[in-house]
Amino acid sequence: MSDKERTHFGFKEVDKEAKASMVADVFHSVASRYDLMNDLMSAGIHRIWKRFTIELSGVRKGHSVLDIAGGTGDLAARFADIVGPEGAVVLADINESMLKVGRDKLLDSGHLGNLEFVQADAQYLPFPDDSFDCITIAFGLRNVTDKDKALRSMLRVLKPGGRLLVLEFSKPQNALLSKAYDAYSFKVLPVMGRLVANDSDSYQYLAESIRVHPDQETLKEMMEDAGFTRCEYHNMTGGVVALHKGIKA
Amino acid sequence: MTATIDPALQTAALAALETAINQALALAPGSREQLARLGDCVFALHCTAPPVDAFLMPGRDRVRLLGVYEGPVTTSVRGVASDFAELATARDPAASLINGRLELHGDSAPLLELQKILAGLEVDWEAPLVDTLGDVAGHQLAQLLRGAWGWGRQASSSLGRQLEEFIHEEARLSPPRLELEDFYKDVQALGLRVDRLESRTRRLRKRLQQLRA
Repeated sequence: MSDKERTHFGFKEVDKEAKASMVADVFHSVASRYDLMNDLMSAGIHRIWKRFTIELSGVRKGHSVLDIAGGTGDLAARFADIVGPEGAVVLADINESMLKVGRDKLLDSGHLGNLEFVQADAQYLPFPDDSFDCITIAFGLRNVTDKDKALRSMLRVLKPGGRLLVLEFSKPQNALLSKAYDAYSFKVLPVMGRLVANDSDSYQYLAESIRVHPDQETLKEMMEDAGFTRCEYHNMTGGVVALHKGIKA
Repeated sequence: MTATIDPALQTAALAALETAINQALALAPGSREQLARLGDCVFALHCTAPPVDAFLMPGRDRVRLLGVYEGPVTTSVRGVASDFAELATARDPAASLINGRLELHGDSAPLLELQKILAGLEVDWEAPLVDTLGDVAGHQLAQLLRGAWGWGRQASSSLGRQLEEFIHEEARLSPPRLELEDFYKDVQALGLRVDRLESRTRRLRKRLQQLRA
């Protein structure tokens, strides 16, 4: 029997060491169609969830912002506009393909000067202590192998008084909505993935990974355990998505 | 932040309104320039019924409407939706602010400026229509729309004036505004005189008690 530590990969249990490369394969596969699939799967609502995240970030001119698992750069682009030339935004992603798509998209849309692109693992952030006024991670935490380690790493690089925002799928608060959401996730999403991105497995993983991700209260406790204070969350779209906020004391 | 409305719904509504305002501003270059002068201002609009908070931030070429803002605000206004509607459509916004039920904190001048700009939006229909339909058809349609827009504004203002005249002068359903303001002034003056009389009576009573003692 293996004495290696185990973790979730969707509904499967896998070695902790293997998860990162399995997640990487998923994102290598979906990177080129990521934005299109996001718009199709959420009917564009992911833009509203991200917009609320930006509002709650309190980011202003001159701030430094780290967007972890920044993917195709939706949040980073908006932050770069807000912080202006006096500020700095770092778009970090562990996945090379996603980072490349994000970098090309942002440079093509004229975002440069105050933006950096870093390939980094959320568990071992390669930045000095107390570096950022705000850290965001949108739809990325559930893919991280050791979430507690990642939260502690984020706390370390956040400036005192800075805030972490975790935007992630969560647990619907209404039983009826929950049933409809389950049916949509397991029946419609993989089919949509097969038709549009020619990859149903990755979207099956997406649906499964959401179900094994900690619910609202558990994630709040994890953030408090990591050392964040004044932790709170906002349910959006009936709890399908939750935005958690924590402050570094 | 209001606890009753799903943040996604509120954010979606504000995003839609922001897009509509910005599209109108994109067709009104004059108003956009005027709005840029308010670039450093933040207006907090706290609506108590329905419970919605919104923060309006004019920028160089667009306005932003946020549901959450934690920085300092220039002007904060609180009231119910109908009070905001009244201010937005008021011909005399200063009078509407003074006599209305809106609670105002901070500098009122930028708010009045904003109201003036948004109420007097001069939309140029021609450029997007010419781009889409070509010079001749676009120009004709733009003229038609300009005429309809101008007529609509004139008709609504004239209808408002006539309705006001009918209510005050013909049907005598309510007194005219000036008459009402005079009445309020009289009531206020009477209140002051009563206060003065009361304090004089109190003083005389006290003096009488001292003389008796």
